[in-house]
Amino acid sequence: MRNITAEEEMHLKRMALQIRKGVIRQIRAGIMGHVGGALSIAEILSCLYFKLMKVDPGDPSRRERDRFVLSAGHKCLALYAALAEKGFFDAAVLDTYGSLGSKLPGHPDMHKLPGIESNTGALGHGLSIAGGMALGLKMDGLDSKVYVIMGDGELAEGSNWEAASAASHHKLDNLLIFVDRNTLQISGRTVEVNSYEPLDKRWEAFGWSAREIDGHDVRQIVEHASAAPFEKGKPSVIIANTVKSKGLSFAEDKVNYHYWKATHEELAKADGEMAEAERRIGG
Amino acid sequence: MSESKPPIKTFGEALLEVGMENPNVVAISADSSSGSGLGPFKERFPERHLEFGIMEQGVIGYAAGLATTGKVPFVAAIAPFVTARPFEMFRNDLGYMRQNVKVVGRCAGLTYSTLGATHQSLDDVAIIRTIPGVVILNPGDPVEIKKATHAMAAHIGPVYMKIGSPDMPILHGEDYHFEIGKGVEMKPGSDITLIGTGTVLQRAFEAAEILAKKGIHARLIDIHTIKPLDREIVLKAARETGRIVTVEEHYLCGGLGGAVAELLAREHPTPVKMIGVDDQYASNGPYEELLGLYGLLAPQIAETVKTFLRG
Repeated sequence: MRNITAEEEMHLKRMALQIRKGVIRQIRAGIMGHVGGALSIAEILSCLYFKLMKVDPGDPSRRERDRFVLSAGHKCLALYAALAEKGFFDAAVLDTYGSLGSKLPGHPDMHKLPGIESNTGALGHGLSIAGGMALGLKMDGLDSKVYVIMGDGELAEGSNWEAASAASHHKLDNLLIFVDRNTLQISGRTVEVNSYEPLDKRWEAFGWSAREIDGHDVRQIVEHASAAPFEKGKPSVIIANTVKSKGLSFAEDKVNYHYWKATHEELAKADGEMAEAERRIGG
Repeated sequence: MSESKPPIKTFGEALLEVGMENPNVVAISADSSSGSGLGPFKERFPERHLEFGIMEQGVIGYAAGLATTGKVPFVAAIAPFVTARPFEMFRNDLGYMRQNVKVVGRCAGLTYSTLGATHQSLDDVAIIRTIPGVVILNPGDPVEIKKATHAMAAHIGPVYMKIGSPDMPILHGEDYHFEIGKGVEMKPGSDITLIGTGTVLQRAFEAAEILAKKGIHARLIDIHTIKPLDREIVLKAARETGRIVTVEEHYLCGGLGGAVAELLAREHPTPVKMIGVDDQYASNGPYEELLGLYGLLAPQIAETVKTFLRG
């Protein structure tokens, strides 16, 4: 477990806000986009890119780097914002979202931008890819880690459970998943659409070591993620309880903001709320 | 055509050779390692053989992830289970991500003859051919299988190779030069062109010999790489012989015949007769009898050619 200082906590909150602002910036450019899940993972991405992961924007392909796979690829507006903030590319690229041939497709393409490790978007692919990365790194004796964010609705894809079982069988304890449990998917509450609860028991039954945290609390994210592997020889999963569209009061926990066609009024309101959040965080 | 060799065993021997040459080569199986020819590799490099059990969707993703770390994964299993079943993983994780993964579908075509339509693979070329950037190899004899295995290991990018199951006669000499994307003229001829591929190349070969005895000089082309198709050899044959017959153990839709017809329709419209299985779930039974049911035996091919020439 690693505790963080108050200063670090402030910084990670500020980076999460920068990610949210980057998401809004892209929505403004493209008029529409997957906002709900992008905003629910802002703190997790902040902690990954600004505290936990060994990555270097100046040398994005370095062999010893940690890897991040956004299995729920539709949340990529947050990933683009995090990578821009980290310096992988110029933040001006965010203004191209939605334009013809933009480097920011609605699901990420590793060949378009540095820092993106896989082409996800079709759900249920990311964990297998990440497992292969973790296995390859282990075979080469590297201590790099592989981090994954999955959606809770995504867990209904059966391919995930093939991947989960294999990760446990091959003892991939360099693999850490965050399940972004924002409890919503396109057609409603995940527990009503096709419940995979209790999530921790499901993962444990597949040979994983599971913990549950508040996915918006940067202190908890860093403390628990830095403690992985939770058990030697087992892959780890953090079930992160989050709020879909976190940070936009009018959209929070609302199913119809999975994909947002933004009005001018909503964008103005979003700007106001981002400014207010900035004042609250201070610094 | 005296000597024959088993294709899966031949692939396995070649894989061992590429494994000895390149320490990054890893072999992946989904429960059927020895049935897929991985035995020698597994025995020599146990730490580089990865067994996943029966999870063919996930295996393709794992292979893609391994490839991102510099490994050269060879995934080998029964053809439909590494093509039709994990198609989206093949398309996105290997094709779209451009990963250096080699997928080998064994017992392809009708060669799993008695097991029925679930295990036969008559659509693998059609579906994988839609994925940009994937090379498709369909070697026609044991020499080509061996050389294709070396060539796919050396090629950087995703490759699908299909091989059959029954012994295949040796058609090429050991000094034969194999190059991905380059067809081979095996017999000269100007009356008509026969293009064969994979498991039934030998049938096309024999058909050309039957025709020659009747005074019909069919050019015989071996297309071991269905994608990228050797445009020049096909267009030249169309210009010089005026008629093309394709022979494959695959659906008429989307395979070698489809690829040839697409090319000719665009660039040099030419009458084409496609021999293969038409739109249906194939029957089950002894392999030779199945080939006969779909007109793929040499005398039947020769007869089809004669009818086509009269028409």
